Amino acid sequence: MFNKNPLRRRQYIGSLIGIGIGLLIFIILPQKAAEDFLSLGPMNTGHEGLSCNACHTDAKGNVMQQLQANIAHTFGARKKEVDFGTQNVDNNKCLECHDRPNDRHPTHRFLEPKFKDAIAKINATECETCHREHNDTRVVLADANFCVNCHYDLEVKNDPIDVPHSQLIANEQWSTCLQCHDFHGNHVYKTAEKIKDTIPLTKIQDYLAGGSDPFAQKKKHLPLSEEEWKKVKSKYKK
Amino acid sequence: MRKPKLSKVVIAIAITKLLTSCGGTIPEESSSEAISSNKAFSVEEILEMVAAENDITRTLYTKGIVGAGKKQGLKFDEDWQDDEVEAGPLPALFLRGISSDIRKSSVPLGLYLGSDFPINASNKLEGKQAELFKKIKANQKPQFFYDESQKLHTAMFADMAMAAPCVNCHNDHKNTTKKDWKLGDVMGATTWQYPSDSLSYKEAIGVLNAYRNGTKAVYNAYLAEIANFKNSKKPNIGKLWPSKGFNLPTAEVFIDSVRKLTSYKSLEVLVKKGAPVASN
Repeated sequence: MFNKNPLRRRQYIGSLIGIGIGLLIFIILPQKAAEDFLSLGPMNTGHEGLSCNACHTDAKGNVMQQLQANIAHTFGARKKEVDFGTQNVDNNKCLECHDRPNDRHPTHRFLEPKFKDAIAKINATECETCHREHNDTRVVLADANFCVNCHYDLEVKNDPIDVPHSQLIANEQWSTCLQCHDFHGNHVYKTAEKIKDTIPLTKIQDYLAGGSDPFAQKKKHLPLSEEEWKKVKSKYKK
Repeated sequence: MRKPKLSKVVIAIAITKLLTSCGGTIPEESSSEAISSNKAFSVEEILEMVAAENDITRTLYTKGIVGAGKKQGLKFDEDWQDDEVEAGPLPALFLRGISSDIRKSSVPLGLYLGSDFPINASNKLEGKQAELFKKIKANQKPQFFYDESQKLHTAMFADMAMAAPCVNCHNDHKNTTKKDWKLGDVMGATTWQYPSDSLSYKEAIGVLNAYRNGTKAVYNAYLAEIANFKNSKKPNIGKLWPSKGFNLPTAEVFIDSVRKLTSYKSLEVLVKKGAPVASN
């Protein structure tokens, strides 16, 4: 067949190379070992060993159905868009493993209208505002002074600490809050009563950046591991 | 002008058909949109109904569990979920727990508790809520508004001092901001939010169920906390209430009592409005 037109040979070889590369992509990329290559960046602290599909679960329907649904949405024939390929990773996904009854600052708390101004400054209704994934860290915020957004007018009665809260607030020392108070309130520890005994800011900053935990090793509730999460999932998947 | 070839037209139609209708569809997720017909209730009616259930539930918990339980030596604390604290949830925390549990369900219902003199500063009403709370304090009537920024229908209801323990605990609390509460005072307000202006029968039941399941979940969390007591004496958990000794009712007994007190009124609302209207 190459005798008819010598260009055919080039077409033929080109097609074979194209199909070959396509097949390699199709076989290699879905492998577990390729996950690092596909990832947007290194996982955050504690998530290092997670599989992509622990968070990026398959969206409902097949690709054609998803395509059709979104075209229908574009033309107004459908009220909501659907996820394409994988499901959107939102709070619910995080909470499947991290939900705890003792969370001192659960995201839904900030949906109350009174927090409107605060969440305009820091959107505490979304986990990813502070914990955006693929950043090789714990908290992506540059400073540890976010408490000011809600607690700016805090008054503490029977103040237990040697440098009173009123003084810390007057001096705008908002980065000292975390030296005693763990934001989500899951660590089991006793807070210091003297400022000099509190956790140094450098250790807090190191912790937020993914370093060791300065509050306590003991926690009241532990998040589900991927294996535990899978078990729970399969139990309720009927 | 050149006419497009027939084959091209056929291909275009085939692609359009393929992209829009082959292979079935993914159903719309939100039940509120899927069942847009038969919206039997206004959001105000349903929030009033669930707020009434909340009043009864909390009064029963405050009087029957906290008030009577304290007399028997049971402890209740703000930090009841802390590891070293062996206590039950105070009524405000009981509500906070229900609110959290509702958020875990698929029902888009928000519930918050606030006051102008809260014990915990984070529960102080602010902005629009504070403004409407002044009206609630004056006439005890519910207030409704549409929260533009969140696109949520919002209702506020008076949270009254219905039981002696409400007044006593708030007046005596070490962090209290007001020491002269008395029975019948408007101590605060519950704020409820829901995204649509009307609800179908199914959605209304969903709201009620989410609230009731929340009550059960928090009460069960309290019983689970008791099961883990290390240093405190554990009450007998069964059919008896603290008024009859060092007891606590099981979740079933507690919930059953709540339902006996609330169901008549709620059913009235649901049946009256939920029945199909005959068309002439």
